[in-house]
Amino acid sequence: MIETLNKAFCALPGVGNKTAQRFVYHLLERNREGGFELAKALVDAMEHVKHCSSCRTLSEKNICNICANDVRDNSQLCIVETPTDIHAIEQSGVYKGKYFVLSGYLSPIDGIGAAELGLDELEQKLKDQNVEEVILATNATVEGEVTAHYISNMVKQFDIKITRIAHGIPIGGELEYADINTIAHALSGRKSYN
Amino acid sequence: MTKVDLTPAFLIHRRAFKDTSLLLDFLTLDHGKIRLVGRGLRNSKTQIQVFQHLKISYSGKGDLKGLNNWEADDTPRQLKGDSLILGMYVNELISRLLHEQDPHFELFEIYKNFIESLATIDTLSSRWLLRLFEHNLLQELGYGVNLSEDIVGEKIDLTAKYEYQHQDGFVRSVTGKILGKSINQLLIDDIDNMPDTQQLKVCRDLNRMRLKPLLGDKPLQSRSLFFSK
Repeated sequence: MIETLNKAFCALPGVGNKTAQRFVYHLLERNREGGFELAKALVDAMEHVKHCSSCRTLSEKNICNICANDVRDNSQLCIVETPTDIHAIEQSGVYKGKYFVLSGYLSPIDGIGAAELGLDELEQKLKDQNVEEVILATNATVEGEVTAHYISNMVKQFDIKITRIAHGIPIGGELEYADINTIAHALSGRKSYN
Repeated sequence: MTKVDLTPAFLIHRRAFKDTSLLLDFLTLDHGKIRLVGRGLRNSKTQIQVFQHLKISYSGKGDLKGLNNWEADDTPRQLKGDSLILGMYVNELISRLLHEQDPHFELFEIYKNFIESLATIDTLSSRWLLRLFEHNLLQELGYGVNLSEDIVGEKIDLTAKYEYQHQDGFVRSVTGKILGKSINQLLIDDIDNMPDTQQLKVCRDLNRMRLKPLLGDKPLQSRSLFFSK
């Protein structure tokens, strides 16, 4: 039984045999109550959390809280690669629109195409809903750029404004330590200062 | 134990590996295509990017070696839109057709020139650049075809029409679609000496025909993704 639990903990990222052993003995010897809570929470989450039918993020409800929130701006749709990206953007507190989660990026070599990213669903969403602006917030990697390009081509058929999040020097960062690609991008995407 | 210091390379593909590492496929000048593990690279602030001329150092025993160090040896390059797609397509070709640790010195230069030119030219020229790249790639892999003579050993006539027979070469034919002039333009390998739009399509089909047996049953994903429309 201890061995099984040990192996089960190894499913977590960054947890090897040694760390798993520490977890197991800690729960068994010092915190049985916490162990029960963890077990219950895990079973609940694994059984009930699914993908939101509207934006594909993880949610225990059929429609997630953000999609169900009527106060949020329906005309803006922000496309992100993962549910954790939503969390990051939400923490910034500046975006009040809705989201769409791709759960990955286009990667022809790995066989990940439009269907795997739910782009058919996105197209349908753009047809059905009154979206005025699509914000491409895929990562600033070449793969993210390819994905953004593909989606922008798809969105062009609708009369929708397409924007891409800005890339550049991080706030509090120093130019001296930025890499050349970031500096080049920051310069080419400069804005008038007033 | 193999140890390689600062060899010229291009990153072809990267994918997540374990928690914080990346599996990286490189095209290197001295050792051809190689796969390395970049330990902890996923959390690194400065990300290693494709389409960038790099110098990489790696070492290790066995098949999967580890990337120790890398530096960019290039001006910043941002491929956008169509050029980006062509770059991805070429990377998939290289990833599919090259064997690991089989050096192709010429091909490295051809790839380098291709990427450098891609960032600066217009859409139509980029198609021709791609056709020349495919042709040179096939030539390098040993699937070259005689562009100066037809199958019976006669010099290619610039005004005549030809058909392509797989691995044998060109056959003169009245119903052929390939103009002798286009075959000659492939031979000259000059980006400025470009065929017209019609012949550019013929060259595309020719290269597809030549690539097909090498790719086998599995079609190129980037082709179906980006060029199907």
